[in-house]
Amino acid sequence: MTTYLLRRILLMVPTLFGITLLTFLLLRISPINPALIKGAGGAENGRAMTAEQREQMIKFYDLDKPAPVAYCKWLWKVLHGNLSDSFVDNRPVAKKIAERMGLTISITGTALIISYLVAIPLGVLAAIKRGQAVDRSISFVVFLLYSIPSFVAALLLILLVAGGDYLDLLPMYGINSINASAMGYFPWLWDRILHMILPVICLTYASLASISRYARVSMLDALSQDFVRTARAKGLSERLVIMRHALRNALIPIITIFTLEIPVLVSGAIIIESIFTLPGMGQLMFQSLDSGDYPVIMGLTLLIAIVTLVSYLLADILYAVVDPRITYE
Amino acid sequence: MNDAAHETYHETYAQRIARHFMADSFARNGLRVVIALFIIAALAPFLANSHAIIRVADGHISFPIFPSLEPIEWRFLVYVPLAAFVYFLRARFSHRPGIGLLFIIGIVALVELTLAATHPINDPTNDRDRPASFKLMPPIPYSPIESTPDQFSPPSWKHLCGTDSTGRDIAARMLHGARTSLSIGFVAQSIALLVGVTLGGLAGFYRGWIDIGVCRFIEIMDCFPPLLLILVAISLFASQNNMFYIMAVIGLTSWTGLARLVRGEFLRLGSQPFPQAAQALGASDFRVIVRHLLPNALGPILVSATFGVASAILIESSLSFLGFGMQAPTPSWGDILSDARRYIDFAWWLAFFPGLAILVTIMSYNFVGEGLRDAVDPRLKVK
Repeated sequence: MTTYLLRRILLMVPTLFGITLLTFLLLRISPINPALIKGAGGAENGRAMTAEQREQMIKFYDLDKPAPVAYCKWLWKVLHGNLSDSFVDNRPVAKKIAERMGLTISITGTALIISYLVAIPLGVLAAIKRGQAVDRSISFVVFLLYSIPSFVAALLLILLVAGGDYLDLLPMYGINSINASAMGYFPWLWDRILHMILPVICLTYASLASISRYARVSMLDALSQDFVRTARAKGLSERLVIMRHALRNALIPIITIFTLEIPVLVSGAIIIESIFTLPGMGQLMFQSLDSGDYPVIMGLTLLIAIVTLVSYLLADILYAVVDPRITYE
Repeated sequence: MNDAAHETYHETYAQRIARHFMADSFARNGLRVVIALFIIAALAPFLANSHAIIRVADGHISFPIFPSLEPIEWRFLVYVPLAAFVYFLRARFSHRPGIGLLFIIGIVALVELTLAATHPINDPTNDRDRPASFKLMPPIPYSPIESTPDQFSPPSWKHLCGTDSTGRDIAARMLHGARTSLSIGFVAQSIALLVGVTLGGLAGFYRGWIDIGVCRFIEIMDCFPPLLLILVAISLFASQNNMFYIMAVIGLTSWTGLARLVRGEFLRLGSQPFPQAAQALGASDFRVIVRHLLPNALGPILVSATFGVASAILIESSLSFLGFGMQAPTPSWGDILSDARRYIDFAWWLAFFPGLAILVTIMSYNFVGEGLRDAVDPRLKVK
């Protein structure tokens, strides 16, 4: 097991190297030129850069160096724990990312947990009632939900319940009301929850399909095993057979796919965050792409890649932990 | 008993899958809807056009709809029936159905549809108000990029799905947008299929260093934050504004699942005796891969590709929604939706109808995929 772990961790290094190099080169050949963009934006605010300042900036951010040299300089900094500074506001990238992480984790995390809490019982129910009307209607409804693009749902929900022409129950966008800082803790929390309802719904409903299908298949698999037949043969009630014997075994593969979804927690949801103007990781990514802020893009890519790789590894380890029949050499 | 055994003996693998597939009502109807959508997309200029199909005025009969078509439309109209006719002749006079020919006809038709989608009807005149003693208008008498004086008209008998900020008829835009969305989904997934099957197949067949290399590459592609790669790649070609770039970018970023699948299938099949037997008989690597391994892995590949088409359509509409997809004047469902975002406080029809169109399309594809999965998976089969 230890050698297996070591090998997996060592294999991560070339992958991380490849990801960052590919992103860097892509950003370099893309027409997004941060110096030009920053100069143009500055002119609008009455702070046009002089040619000299631009030269200075290009030099400072290594934009005049060939891509491989600039990449090596970036890598050197990262190896010293420095993700360098953002182009746009010159603040450290690590700080910018850290500010946004909490919000994204709270929203995507809530959505992830709710979707599992709803989808697993649905899938298990569909498996128990396999082929019956219940099974077919569950699969119809989850597929229906899955097929609605999240941004369409977001737009229609805003229109219907958040200050459109119809109801005005929930706030339309943002993460807090304007006067949030003056509130006490509980009113503040309530305000935050109201703001989170719509984004969480939009992030939850679509993933019900895949999780419940997965739960259904793995429950069907468990129900067809010999130990379930034995449990029935010795006269256990159907409820006990399902809850204590089949369900526990059906949950094993589900734990694994849950692990595989951890990266979403840090990558955020570009579209939903941009519709509800939530200052999360997805928004940060989108804004930095828009403004050519490549230190931020590189930092985000690195972070998301590390989290993705670690969660893949975690999934494999968990698989062996929950199922002793699996061993890795 | 004897009869049943006799019948199944004559059933080929494809026929058995088809039988199981058609026995599932969700899958059957999903397939019907997908075919209907493609027919609607192909006939879009005849369903939504500001020109009359037949017009009788001053004792003259004219067919104004035909001169209004773009040249590309003519190619589409001539090639496809011709190809279908050739196929019919072949099916009539030789007993082999010729799947290869059907495939080529399908690809030609799709490429033409794709090209046609980027050339919507551009003739600004209309026959709606021109006097005539008799005229037969298409069901939706508006062209997709034609502005009418009714701006933000809610759905009514005049405009079935309402109009947008410049008075364009949403129903007409949706019919023509079906071309964009359907062909993007199909072509992008074909590109993904090509890359995924090639790389996954090579990794699964040769193993060793090739396998390690391909696996690292898949891992690298999978680690990119969602949409990042697509957004950066599209900004590379931003000046081109070409549908084929968008298809290529979506295709080249969504092949990893397929590659994993094909690799797994090839690893599994490769250790069975039949490819080894073929090799022992002197078959080349290429022949073993294409004639022995690939046909045996076709079921799961087809299933995954069907779901892939659905997800490519979703990605395209998200890109258009974010403003990175198809640009005006090409109509697409995502484009109407991005308009919807600006006027969401009152113009619900701008979000509802294209959303519904996407929903129906994705759902049909998913039912087809689900039906195929059940049909090719021996474990899940209902006895």
